[in-house]
Amino acid sequence: MGKVAAKIKVMPQSPEIDLDDLQDRLEDSLPEGAKINGVERDDVAFGLVALLPTVIVPDDAGGTEAVEEGFAEVEGVESISVESVGRI
Amino acid sequence: MSDQHQNLAIIGHVDHGKSTLVGRLLFETGSVPEHVIEQHREEAEEKGKGGFEFAYVMDNLAEERERGVTIDIAHQEFSTDEYEFTIVDCPGHRDFVKNMITGASQADNAVLVVAADDGVAPQTQEHVFLARTLGIGELIVGVNKMDLVDYGETKYKEVKSEVTDLLNQVQFNTDDAEFIPISAFEGDNIAERSDNTEWYDGEILIEALNNLPEPEPPTDAPLRLPIQDVYTISGIGTVPVGRIETGIMNIGDNVSFQPSDVGGEVKTIEMHHEEVPKAEPGDNVGFNVRGIGKDDIRRGDVCGPAESPPSVAETFQAQIVVMQHPSVITAGYTPVFHAHTAQVACTIESLDKKMDPSSGEVAEENPDFIQTGDAAVVTVRPQKPLSIEPSSEIPELGSFAVRDMGQTIAAGKVLSVENRE
Ligand SMILES: Nc1nc2c(ncn2[C@@H]2O[C@H](COP(=O)(O)OP(=O)(O)OP(=O)(O)O)[C@@H](O)[C@H]2O)c(=O)[nH]1
Ligand SMILES: [Mg+2]
Repeated sequence: MGKVAAKIKVMPQSPEIDLDDLQDRLEDSLPEGAKINGVERDDVAFGLVALLPTVIVPDDAGGTEAVEEGFAEVEGVESISVESVGRI
Repeated sequence: MSDQHQNLAIIGHVDHGKSTLVGRLLFETGSVPEHVIEQHREEAEEKGKGGFEFAYVMDNLAEERERGVTIDIAHQEFSTDEYEFTIVDCPGHRDFVKNMITGASQADNAVLVVAADDGVAPQTQEHVFLARTLGIGELIVGVNKMDLVDYGETKYKEVKSEVTDLLNQVQFNTDDAEFIPISAFEGDNIAERSDNTEWYDGEILIEALNNLPEPEPPTDAPLRLPIQDVYTISGIGTVPVGRIETGIMNIGDNVSFQPSDVGGEVKTIEMHHEEVPKAEPGDNVGFNVRGIGKDDIRRGDVCGPAESPPSVAETFQAQIVVMQHPSVITAGYTPVFHAHTAQVACTIESLDKKMDPSSGEVAEENPDFIQTGDAAVVTVRPQKPLSIEPSSEIPELGSFAVRDMGQTIAAGKVLSVENRE
């Protein structure tokens, strides 16, 4: 089984959230076996900026559920959605 | 070379040769630097690995990408005379199915790899159904590893007929499928016509790729914008945010949010922090609608034109494939349905038909139960209002994943919607 890269869109609770701090907290929330392989930022609208971490998980780890659950608990996160998934 | 773009999914059962085929395509189209290939060829020889393995090169390239700075590591690119292709190698595990259904659309067309010596295998079925659910237009079926079956036409025909049955079972139009006998390993019928398959006179893989229809963005369909989040922004007011799936949103449009059932006029649209007069499929936007407060709308609502508002289902009929369920599914089962940005508990009210896997015909009317591997038509009643569309009308809003017990149980597409009064 190979590895899967999932691009996950994390929306902050407001335009005031410090994105560097938020990025650190996301990093800390990762379940074992998963890792972040770079984070993009996407200007959305009206000052809102989405973080788009690419998370690598093993193909047999049962999807991105554990990562999503971890991210959802992080302070300052409004919502999580998986944009794309693919084997690397 | 062309700048026309195609997103291509590579699907198929484990070990049937997906990575090898991707490697072969990158190589034949000059997308892997020659020196990289050479280096791996030497390494492979040193390690006494008999033949040169594309799968091995691909694994190494994956590791390199993972170490490198490239962010988009899941997508590889190659160009042919007609198109610039972005390939996605679909994950094998069923639990990624939800992501592929609710995520951004990643593929216009697909190549299904089926090993000639193994034929249709479980993941072949799942991926074919997924392709259909995701609205893949055309399927190129590479009957791979022909070298292992002495390039025999009989074997090829056997596999072709197995796959045809499978396509029928999930009602994938077989006119939209092209079968090609290939060997990704030896390079037969990939970029050059092979002498080993003289009995075959159809298209080779590169020709089939060049002949794929041009993808058309769904701009003609009515606007459908599933709401991801709703913000209050100082100085602006309520700002819903989401990705446009179909149609176009213009400033001044009169829009309706369903199932919340409120509406108003679009005052401003922003994309990448800039005000824009209109937005199109694939655009991530934030916008502001006159008279709409933060508590009037919510995640899971769909925004559409007031004159052609998003459908809200009292019930809907759907075609599903059961991917994994520890026991059996009977009428009354109420798992969570994930469709666009909505997650709603829905009751499978009746099991209407079960399909025969070998013919695609109805095998049983009103079956008592369905189980893993079954394809069926069912009637579903959402326990809370849900906006969803028949996939024949708006495919982007017509598919869903069914989850329960932390697993993806089934995937499906909507056949018809009984609208709520
Ligand atoms: N003889 C022969 N072997 C092949 C061919 N294509 C792939 N293989 C071999 O089959 C094995 C699996 O190939 P992969 O390309 O890794 O298969 P895959 O579908 O990517 O497998 P997963 O990523 O594990 O799902 C490797 O040892 C390949 O060298 C072919 O056309 N002929
Ligand atoms: Mg592979």
